[in-house]
Amino acid sequence: MEIPLCFAEFERTKALILKIITISPLTSNFGIEMGSDKVALFVEDIHKSFGSLEVLKGLSVTAHEGDVVAMLGSSGSGKSTFLRCINLLETPNRGRIVVSGEEIKLQEDRHGVNQILDKKQVERMRAKLAMVFQQFNLWSHMTILENIMEAPVHVLKVPKNEAREKAEFYLQKVGIFERKEYYPAHLSGGQQQRAAIARALAVEPEVMLFDEPTSALDPELVGEVLRVMKDLAEEGRTMLVVTHEMGFAREVSSRVIFLHEGSIEEDGPPSVVFETPKSERFRQFLAQNLK
Amino acid sequence: MDFEIIFDNLGLYVEGMWLTLELVSLSLLAGFILAVPMAIMRVSKNYFIAAPVRLFVYIFRGTPLLVQIYIIYYGLGQFDAVKDSFAWPFFKEAYFCCLFAFALNTGAYTVEILRGAIAGTPFGEIEAAVSVGMSRILMLRRIILPSAFRRALPAYGNEVIFMLHGTSLASIITLVDLTGAARIVNSRYYSPYEAYLTAAVFYMGLTFTLVWLFKKLEFKWFAHLRPRKETV
Repeated sequence: MEIPLCFAEFERTKALILKIITISPLTSNFGIEMGSDKVALFVEDIHKSFGSLEVLKGLSVTAHEGDVVAMLGSSGSGKSTFLRCINLLETPNRGRIVVSGEEIKLQEDRHGVNQILDKKQVERMRAKLAMVFQQFNLWSHMTILENIMEAPVHVLKVPKNEAREKAEFYLQKVGIFERKEYYPAHLSGGQQQRAAIARALAVEPEVMLFDEPTSALDPELVGEVLRVMKDLAEEGRTMLVVTHEMGFAREVSSRVIFLHEGSIEEDGPPSVVFETPKSERFRQFLAQNLK
Repeated sequence: MDFEIIFDNLGLYVEGMWLTLELVSLSLLAGFILAVPMAIMRVSKNYFIAAPVRLFVYIFRGTPLLVQIYIIYYGLGQFDAVKDSFAWPFFKEAYFCCLFAFALNTGAYTVEILRGAIAGTPFGEIEAAVSVGMSRILMLRRIILPSAFRRALPAYGNEVIFMLHGTSLASIITLVDLTGAARIVNSRYYSPYEAYLTAAVFYMGLTFTLVWLFKKLEFKWFAHLRPRKETV
């Protein structure tokens, strides 16, 4: 009886030590500008199951400031779920999420499954992780300008005038300023998605999450959205992009992650992974998608 | 057709119309104020929050309005507990009993209208609200309810007209609303045709005004659903 107890204790200590080791480079960086070495997003060992189906099997990603991480993978590989776990649209069963030095407080319940500990903190953190959705998800009863001002005014409590100026600035940036009084339904898909990007920008996030932002668009509208995203990448914004656009991954991203059945199969700079893929599955995936 | 009967009693009809308008607007207002929080409770995943509202709705939609009025006006007085309570000065008045029954009745129907509208909020819009860090309350206030009210408007317009006609039951328990005025005229002259036709014309006028009002509201609120040309 003694031995398993000791073993459990040993395991706990080991976990603690590991935790300290993994946190320490973060905490030591915190607050000190180190150029692109500053960690914007640190995600570790994310597990997620729906019922008995294990979708994510322990994924970890570290994004430094200014990184553009492209996540590739065939459908069902868990890339969207992974993205949704990062801003807690899905609660991961296990794992840690740290956004610019602040860890999202999760606690295991008695089934060993993570629960949100501090709702207020999660709400605050979500604004640092603005998300752009495949289906745009603009609020249909508000004009484009109102859509973009909504979160700054009501979540971040920015004064209205200031929020309006900022909203107009971002609308100009994504190139739909003259459409600001339109309702979402009166815009094309590409314009709606650019408005959604402006809405995400307006909360001034630390990291932007893109969930297949061009998958719902007509082929001729894909370009305008990708161009905006490329501009953002060149500005040095930290982005996590789930995408099927190989061209974007190859040219714009600083890192490519290939997911297969909930695990990371390939991880590296695009120049390396596209030229000399290590994993056989990624090679097959590329053969299918790069015709 | 004896127009003299109508003209001689026009004042009575106008007074009746005012009472009708008063009853319908007050009961709609109270019913709506009741219905909004109840609709929010009704869509709760928590059974113990949703169940009482379901019971309330079931009772008031499950029985005729006239029966509800009878139970409240004639029935409550049987109980000494009610007679001795602070509420008796209210419940002995036909006017208050009518308002009470109307408000609860329209409240029950409005709960169901709003419930459907809230449930119909596009899920993506809710996720977008969550993803920018909105709390549940803020999301209700800024996203879910404003969009639900818009979706509920046509069905609610129907409920308002339905309630307008429902108030004619007030005449059964001594109140002189539009129908009450018609009853008096009929019993005075034994000319049901003139008496009720006049009331009908008044009701149609009121309905027409309501329809026009809701059309205006829909025009204002449905800007996002109109074809593009009209908004610019």
